[in-house]
Amino acid sequence: MEVVDVRPLLAPLISFACAGLVFAMGRSVFWRRFWSLTAAAVKLLVVLSMLPGTLQGTVFVFDVVEFTPGVGIAFRADAYGMFFSLVSSTLWVLTTIYAIGYMQGDKDRVRFFGFFALCVSTTVGIAFAENLLTFFLFYETLTICTYPLVVHAETPQALRAGRIYLTYTLIGGGLALIGSVMTLNATGSLTLGQTGILSADLGTFTLVTIFVTLVVGFGVKAAIMPLHGWLPIAMVAPTPVSALLHAVAVVKVGAFGVTRVIYNVFGAELLQTLGYASYLGALAAFTILAASVMAIMQDQLKRRLAYSTVSQLSYILLAASLLTPLAALAATVHIANQAFAKIAMFFVVGAIGRVTGKTRVGELAGIGAVMPWTMAAFTIAALSFVGLPLFAGFATKWYLSLGALQADAWWFVVVMLVSSVLNAAYWFPIIHLAYFKTAETAAAGDDRAARDPAAEPRSLRREAPLTLLVPILICAAYVILLGTTAEVVGMPTSLAEVAVWQSFGLEAPAP
Amino acid sequence: MSAAWPTLLPWLVVLPLAGAALVPIVAVGQPRRAGRFTLFVVLLTVVVAAGLVWHLSLTGPFSVSLGGWAAPYGIELRFDRFAAWTLPLAGLFAFVVPFAWRYLDGTLPPERWAVFYALLLLNLGGLLGFSVTADLFNLFVAMEVVSLSSYALVAVAGRGVAAWAALKYLLLGAVSSLLVLFAVGLLFTLTGSLNLLDVTIRLAAGGPSPAANLALASLTVAFMVKAALFPLHVWLPDAHAIAPSPVSAVLSGLVVKVGIVGLLRVLELAVGSGAPLEVFNQVLMLLGAIAIVMGAFLAIFQNDIKLMLAYSTISNIGYIVLGLGLASPFALIGGSVHVFNHALIKVTLFLAAGAIIHQTGFRTLSDLRGVARVMPQTSAAMAIGAVSIVGLPPTAGFVCKWYIALGAFEAGQGGYGFALVFGALFIFVYYVRMLNAFYFQQPVRPEVAAAREPPWSMRGPVLVLAALCLIMGILGGIPLTFVEPAVSDLLLSMGR
Repeated sequence: MEVVDVRPLLAPLISFACAGLVFAMGRSVFWRRFWSLTAAAVKLLVVLSMLPGTLQGTVFVFDVVEFTPGVGIAFRADAYGMFFSLVSSTLWVLTTIYAIGYMQGDKDRVRFFGFFALCVSTTVGIAFAENLLTFFLFYETLTICTYPLVVHAETPQALRAGRIYLTYTLIGGGLALIGSVMTLNATGSLTLGQTGILSADLGTFTLVTIFVTLVVGFGVKAAIMPLHGWLPIAMVAPTPVSALLHAVAVVKVGAFGVTRVIYNVFGAELLQTLGYASYLGALAAFTILAASVMAIMQDQLKRRLAYSTVSQLSYILLAASLLTPLAALAATVHIANQAFAKIAMFFVVGAIGRVTGKTRVGELAGIGAVMPWTMAAFTIAALSFVGLPLFAGFATKWYLSLGALQADAWWFVVVMLVSSVLNAAYWFPIIHLAYFKTAETAAAGDDRAARDPAAEPRSLRREAPLTLLVPILICAAYVILLGTTAEVVGMPTSLAEVAVWQSFGLEAPAP
Repeated sequence: MSAAWPTLLPWLVVLPLAGAALVPIVAVGQPRRAGRFTLFVVLLTVVVAAGLVWHLSLTGPFSVSLGGWAAPYGIELRFDRFAAWTLPLAGLFAFVVPFAWRYLDGTLPPERWAVFYALLLLNLGGLLGFSVTADLFNLFVAMEVVSLSSYALVAVAGRGVAAWAALKYLLLGAVSSLLVLFAVGLLFTLTGSLNLLDVTIRLAAGGPSPAANLALASLTVAFMVKAALFPLHVWLPDAHAIAPSPVSAVLSGLVVKVGIVGLLRVLELAVGSGAPLEVFNQVLMLLGAIAIVMGAFLAIFQNDIKLMLAYSTISNIGYIVLGLGLASPFALIGGSVHVFNHALIKVTLFLAAGAIIHQTGFRTLSDLRGVARVMPQTSAAMAIGAVSIVGLPPTAGFVCKWYIALGAFEAGQGGYGFALVFGALFIFVYYVRMLNAFYFQQPVRPEVAAAREPPWSMRGPVLVLAALCLIMGILGGIPLTFVEPAVSDLLLSMGR
């Protein structure tokens, strides 16, 4: 059932207005914080207020302005879009609090918070885009608005990262534009509100070109190999940016886009007969493993996180390409599962960097005693990535395995098992270093634990300030909530189930 | 009330021309009055243009005969749907003129201000005349008015390089003018008429003839020179970069469009004549695509911001010409809309660049590092213009890219769609360098660090124009009201 409602437009507009207010009044610390926090909270409430309707199968639509005859800027909040926007709005609140603490004393904060809000605004616009044109408008705007955040440090290294980021994403955007235009030319429609608008009689050449341009175009932001090169380099950005944009907003937008292409532009039925999705699945499986191996080799914490992101994003792509209901469910819930765990990790790394100045894996010996709460959150996130039951990551792997078996693709289950082992191989050493070594024993190459716990001076403890710690702990709590119960505040599994039949046109998965 | 507007059509041309004659008289003893009087005249013209466009939207195209002689013998002015662009054309002058008020301080000695404004009004009159004239001879005359005033405006800064740039411009412009004159003579001999519609009908009646083809071909080449279509662009970069910034804005945004409107007229003439339209379209497509890439490529090597803007005009003319050449409905819509959108973007960019140059005294990227710190508003306008000229959404430049790319696939020429999209990205290489220098690098020049935002008479136009670049991107459908019927008329007469 479709209902005309202004809220899908309101959600991105709130962040947009916030950006304007920050640019206009941001020189005052108070107003900058006030508008950032208020807008984040209000937007979350607006999105949440649509949740009950969405759970009952209501779709909120709003047409803004006609652009080409028949195609305009239009919003449509279906279950899948709602799920994504809930994740990004919730995390915007947390990241804003964190960023206020983290960026204290940094330069150019007006620019930082202004563009930060713009990026969030475009992310929600993407989540609610009714058609490929609207999607593309926001997709490109996101690219531009992220650039000032990536080059925030203004060092030659940051500028180089910005250049590489723009090269990858703008070429991707160009391909996506061509794919959209070809779709419009072939079908006369760009809507994302149906389960498939293309048909098999368009001819192989057209279909392959559309599939490749759209999937590569959006896949660049999803950092699927070999298009992942920009992501580890872009880690020079300040940590809140890396956290929200490079673990959640920007990269998830890519995965979200590919999923939309698979289920709403092509449609599961058509792709099943065409078989293109299996190539994407194979590439995603390769990315999952290869990126994990790369992650093991990284000593820079943020780079290790970046490669882990590359690997985790391909879970979504792999799940989406299986075209079965349970795999689609996994693709949806993993948007939240990966987001909360990864953002917790980024927050932790940022907090460690701000408090102790440490940025490398090798320097972390004994950090568990210095920042116990922070490292506890890190451990929770790491266990989630490994896929232990009771943690969010397990839910993904469970549904994904079932989905793969539904699709008779048992080798993907093997891929997941290997990936779990690899995840353990790059997270557990950090945890081991943090808890079971001290700076002295590590330096001495001595493997024994600290000699006498009582001798450990209490003054060693230097926990992160509350503005950093609270978001970290909330994210960690979400990771456990998402793994233990199906009805999490804000993003229940039932919403993802609605997305599977409503947005993807697949049968509702059996419980 | 509405019925009275057509009688004002001649005034659209007469007002600026009469104003040009009056400026030196008004300005005697008080050079500042020249600028204010010019703005007054331009605003009057805008009002007339708005009324005409309003009438057009109510009743459709209309014509007016001058001196009581009916067409095809008398002088006829025609306000068709493409002529609706006279409104934004005059409207953009209303931004350029107040910008020039303070810009001229220190650029030109006060005794030459009156001449400057008179030339500007002459230029406007020529542009408007060119857009609404219905006969070939007046087309030529209006074109010459535009060209001569443009040469003079380039040279008005008066230094050695300016004279050289103006001379180069003059030489190539003269060749193109001669070609037009030759073609007009030929067509008159062939058909015995100068009225555009009349000539079209008689050419169609006469059937294909080598002489008619020769005339149409020379018109095409002549207008390609005027439009600075690659490889006939060599006169453009120096002329547009050397001229004072308000002049650069007018030349780069508006005067080159004479060539485009001219090409549209040639297309109308050639439709029935049996001339090989296929060849015409093929050439336009190919040259358009090459121009997009080459303009972007050449811009990369520039360090002077105005030179870089000049080269991007070559790229953008490529878009428009590619749109014309593809000749599918969406491509023609995109090309025609971009005639206006590019004018808007390019005027924004040149005025913003002019403001920066005026306030800091520098014009190269390496000198202008960090200028966004001291001139945040002007720099933001420049950034919006840069994003817009590359055609990234949600700006005015995206609208045409969308339509032309769509038109390329519609015409079955997907390859040109790729060339368009990625050629456009190519030019961003340069603009990213510019934005980096402005925003993310420390000032190296103390003068830049000490610079301030320009006075409001300069800042206001720049900011409003930048806002329009964004608005026209989101409300991209508005120009379609006029362009779509115009294009479908054109396609109808082409039998498609």
